[in-house]
Formats: sequence, structure tokens, C-alpha cells
Amino acid sequence: MFFARFSIAAAALIALAACAPPGQQAESGAGATGPIKIANVNAQSGQLSSLGQWEHKGVKLAIDEANKAGGIGGRQIKLDLFDSQGDPTVGTNVARKISSEGYVAMLGTAESAVTLAMAPILKDAKIPNITSGQSPKLADLKSPFLFLNAPTSVTFDETLAQYLVDDKGHKKIALISNNGAYGSGEHDAFLAALKSRNVTPVADEIVTPDQKDFNSNLAKIREEDPEVLFIGAEEVQSGLIAKQSRELGIKAIFAGGAPMGTDVYAATAGQENAEGSAVSSPYLSNDASEEIKAFAAKYKAAYNEEARMHVAKAYDGASILIEALKQTKGEGGQKLADAIRGVKRAGLLGNYNYDANGVGIHETKIGLVKDGKVVPEAAS
Amino acid sequence: MQVFLQTLIGGITFGAVYALVAMGFSIVYRTMGLVNFAHGSVVMIGAYAASTFYLATQLPFAVAIVVAIVVTGLIGLVIERFLRPLENKDFTLMLIGTIGFGAVLEAGAVLVWGATGHAVPSPVATAPIDLAGVRIPTYSLMVIAIAAAATGLLALFLQRTKRGAAMQAVAMDHQAATAVGIHVGRSNALAFAIGAGLAALAGSLIGPMLYVNPTMGGTLGIKGFAAAMLGGFGSMPGAIVGGLAFGLLDSFAAGNFQEYSELVTFLVFALVVMIRPTGIFGEATVNRA
Repeated sequence: MFFARFSIAAAALIALAACAPPGQQAESGAGATGPIKIANVNAQSGQLSSLGQWEHKGVKLAIDEANKAGGIGGRQIKLDLFDSQGDPTVGTNVARKISSEGYVAMLGTAESAVTLAMAPILKDAKIPNITSGQSPKLADLKSPFLFLNAPTSVTFDETLAQYLVDDKGHKKIALISNNGAYGSGEHDAFLAALKSRNVTPVADEIVTPDQKDFNSNLAKIREEDPEVLFIGAEEVQSGLIAKQSRELGIKAIFAGGAPMGTDVYAATAGQENAEGSAVSSPYLSNDASEEIKAFAAKYKAAYNEEARMHVAKAYDGASILIEALKQTKGEGGQKLADAIRGVKRAGLLGNYNYDANGVGIHETKIGLVKDGKVVPEAAS
Repeated sequence: MQVFLQTLIGGITFGAVYALVAMGFSIVYRTMGLVNFAHGSVVMIGAYAASTFYLATQLPFAVAIVVAIVVTGLIGLVIERFLRPLENKDFTLMLIGTIGFGAVLEAGAVLVWGATGHAVPSPVATAPIDLAGVRIPTYSLMVIAIAAAATGLLALFLQRTKRGAAMQAVAMDHQAATAVGIHVGRSNALAFAIGAGLAALAGSLIGPMLYVNPTMGGTLGIKGFAAAMLGGFGSMPGAIVGGLAFGLLDSFAAGNFQEYSELVTFLVFALVVMIRPTGIFGEATVNRA
């Protein structure tokens, strides 16, 4: 009897020991040898998997280059890919996994909702995360371990409002956005930018991220006959909204953030429907500068497909991480987070200069969709 | 008024597709007493098969639909063949089997077509019809017409042909049907194949309206299933009414309840099912589960 009780207690102790704080057994000190483990977490399946696959290709390109050039002080970087399925619940499971398996940093995800769910776990485990999400809620977390490789929606939409209202003089603006993490961030940021210009939207329709039929919402918008229709949604949904708008005879200019600069948007909407859409983005095209041209050529050689913003920002994020790792000599934790914050880099998306909230880039440019591709506004 | 009519158009178009999905669920259920949880994934395969064929060959869209129906019909036969040993032995395992097939089909689609998906250009390029400010896309009219024709053909098959009558007999009492010499297994296989064919039809039609990707079957499957429940599970007229009702409910909720539309849609659905558990055209006799 005593023995039985003792063995139960022993088993309980062992179980407790197995639950040691995550990251404890990680080999991340300055004197460590062996590869440095970096996790890339992105949707590899599900509706948002196209983003995840682009992100991974961009990250891999940067890491492969660094490894070829000798790695970090002679140590190679080991990049492992995790599928978040674009699902916050899956994301938190992955966050626990990477914090218990000795990863020094995480790159991704492309979905704000997933990154938001993962952030508290990564913060506790002191694992710096460079994300491709751009919801203002990410910056609001003020986590010292969370960094964005792109501007937040606030910057995107401020630039967009400036172009539409200040430069073009549009006053009749309608909004349609979904209530997901990205869509609601876009909605709030654009509405705030309009408010600061004393413009009240003529319509403000909210849809669900899963919605496919927008006839009802768009019929209401059509009654107001807006000059501009702001769309705050991901690539596919933005495309469906644009397509159904034109079917209903809405003639407004479509305007939105980075998703509307993708070919997925143009293909879903149909090229003639997407024509003329105004896009606010830090990365307009593959020939915006000499650096970007060189990068696009390199990317095409590696993967035989065209580069795009998601690839470029993932590449930028990975490059910043590599630069910071070189400074810490492969060490993770607080030291790595501080090093990332200190990196000043002229990247593909702009000049990175991290603020206290982890936002690195503070401006975007305006482009227009022409023949399914984005061209800088001034040139059109 | 314009908003109301426009909402109606959207609701009926999507409702017609839900009705097709619901009919696929119902025909398998009435014959075998089984809910085929792989049905949503079969819709997705149908969408892929039709759109890939259409984009690759540039042949008329109707040909692509027929190809998709044949492809998924075969998949339906395969699923039924795998489940046949369990028929009338272990019902729960059969249910789980269909869930497993759903996962297999989704993973298979990722392997064959990749995870990204593709957009399908509309097969009818004409401008929408303008009726006093209410715009009706010509493609929507085509979807509604094809769905109606398919429904009519299916009704004719079930009521006027020997095979159809045999399927009805199996649905009513499979033991008695066996006693009079009807091959129950073959009848079930036919039900699965017809169900899969309907799924393919729904998938091919919805492809150009949406974006074809491996996970598109999830929402369509759930809404089609809910539509079938709403109309009365196992009833063919029920599936049609349920599909249209669900499409309209979805559409009007979107306009009036904004971000709460999904919540409202399913709350109304839950209420209806609570008040009338057998659905609108519920047939208590088909319950073999």
C-alpha cells in the first residue's frame, strides 16, 4: 500500500518535471555549438496558404544565402517549417511546441489573428518573433519580443486617405470590411484617417470573413453612389467583393491595402474589374528600384515564379533576424530582441527603424492596378 | 425595394447551389440512412475537376461539368465500395469512414492542385441583365436553370424508372427490398454516385462565383447539410426548399445584421429545427439510424 502510494507520488513528480518551463533545455547560449534553430510558422494549408507559401520561400531564400556565406559565426541556421493552417488555435499549439524545443526565434505568421494568439506564449518564452501581420493590434500589444516586418494598417490607410481625399478630392467614400483581425484593423484605421479629414463615409458595411454573397451589402452601398469603395478584406474576399460590385453596376474606384496588389485579387475579381484599383503598399512592383529588381531576379532564379510583396517582406524579416543573430553570436532571448530593435536596414519594403511597439516601417506608397499588375501612381 | 430585390437575387443564386449540395446529402441518407460527411469535399473535388478541365482545354463549360460529374461519380462509387462491408453492421464506423474520406480528398487535392487554389473566369461573358435597377448576372440565371433542370431529371429518375423505384424501395425498407430481389448494395452505390454527381454539379457551378481551393468544401458542406436538415433530411423537395431558404436567410441576414449575420442565420436554423425537428418536409419513415 505504502509502495503504491509512493509510486503514484513519484510518477506525479516525474510528470511535473516533464512540464518544466518551456525553453529551459534550449541550447541558445553564446558558447553553444551546432545549428541555430529558427521556426518559420505560416499557413501551408487552408484558404490563406498562398500567403504562407510565399512567406516561406522568402524566408528560405534569405536563410540559404546566410548559410552559404558561412552561417552565424560558423554555425549553420536550421530553418523548420510549421503549418499554422491560418488558425489561431493551431498557432498557439505551434507556439508551445517551438518554445519547448529550443528555437531561438520565429518568423511569421502572415495572419495577424494567428500572430496575436501566439504572441503571449512567445513573450513568456522570450522568443523574438518577426511577423508579417500588419494589424494595429499587434503594435498595441507592446510586446518586447514582437516585431513587424511591414507597416501597420494605420500607416497603410493614412497614406490611402491622404491620396483619395487630400490629393484626389473624393468625399463620397463607402466602406466594406470583414470583422476578422485584418479586416477590422483596416476598417478602424481607415475610418480614423477619414475622420481626421472630416469625411464621414456614406456607407459602412461589415461582413464576416467567410461570407461569399455580398449582394445585400453592395445593393445598400450602390444606393449611395460612392466615388470610392474601400475594401478591408483578404485577397480572395476583396476579389469577390470587387467582382460582385461591378456586376451590380457600382462604378466606384476600389481602394485598399496590400491584398489588392496581389494577382490573387486581380484573378478573383477578373482583370477588367480590378483595373484602376488604388492600392496602398510599401512594395508596389518588382521593378521599383535597383535593389528590388536584383531581388526579383534572384527569386525568379530560385523558384521560377515572380516575386511579390509577401516574399519581399518575409525576406526582409529574415535578413533582419540574421543581422541581429550575428550581433548576439547566435544567442537568443532578450539579447536577440534588443539586437533586432537596433537593426537599421535599407530593406526591400523601405528603411527599417524599429520603434518601441515593434513597428519597423512607417510609410507606404500608392499604386494603381493596371492589367492585373500594380504600377506606381505617379507613373500612370 | 431595390436592395430587397437585389438581396433576393443573391440569395436565390447561392440557395440553388445549397439545394444541390443538400440533395446530394439527402439522396445518400434516404437510401442508406447515412450522413456522408465527405460530401463537402466531393463538392470541392467537383469544382476542381470542372475548373481545371475548363481552363486547360477551353472546351465549353458544359463539357467540363460532365467530366466533373463522371470523376466524382467514380469517387462516390469508391467510397461506397469501401463502406459496403460495414453496411448494417457498424453504423458509427461508417460515419467515421466518410469523415476520413473527406480528409483524404482534401489532402489529395492539396497534393494534386497545390494549396493555393485558382480563380475561374465566368463561362458566360455577357453583361448582367438590368431590370429597373436590379442587376441579374447572366451566370446566376444559368446556375438557377441548371439546378432546376437537375432537380427535374432526378425526380423523373426516382419516380419513373425501375432503378429509381428500386432505390425508393430500399429507402423505405431494405429488408423487404432484398426479399423482392433488389440488390441493396448496388442501389446504395447508385445513391452514392448520384450524390457525388450532384456535388460535382454544385461544385462546378459555384467555381466561377468563388475561388476554387482545397478548403472550400468546408463551408459549402456545412451550409448544404444545414439546408438539408432545414428542409427535412432525406426528402428531395425538402432539400430544394431548404437550400433556397438557407440561401435567402444567409443573404438577408448579411444585409441586416452585418457582422452578426452568421450567428443570426444559424440561430434561426436552430430555432426552426427545435420547433420542427424533422424539418419542413420531414419523413419519419426514412429514419434507419
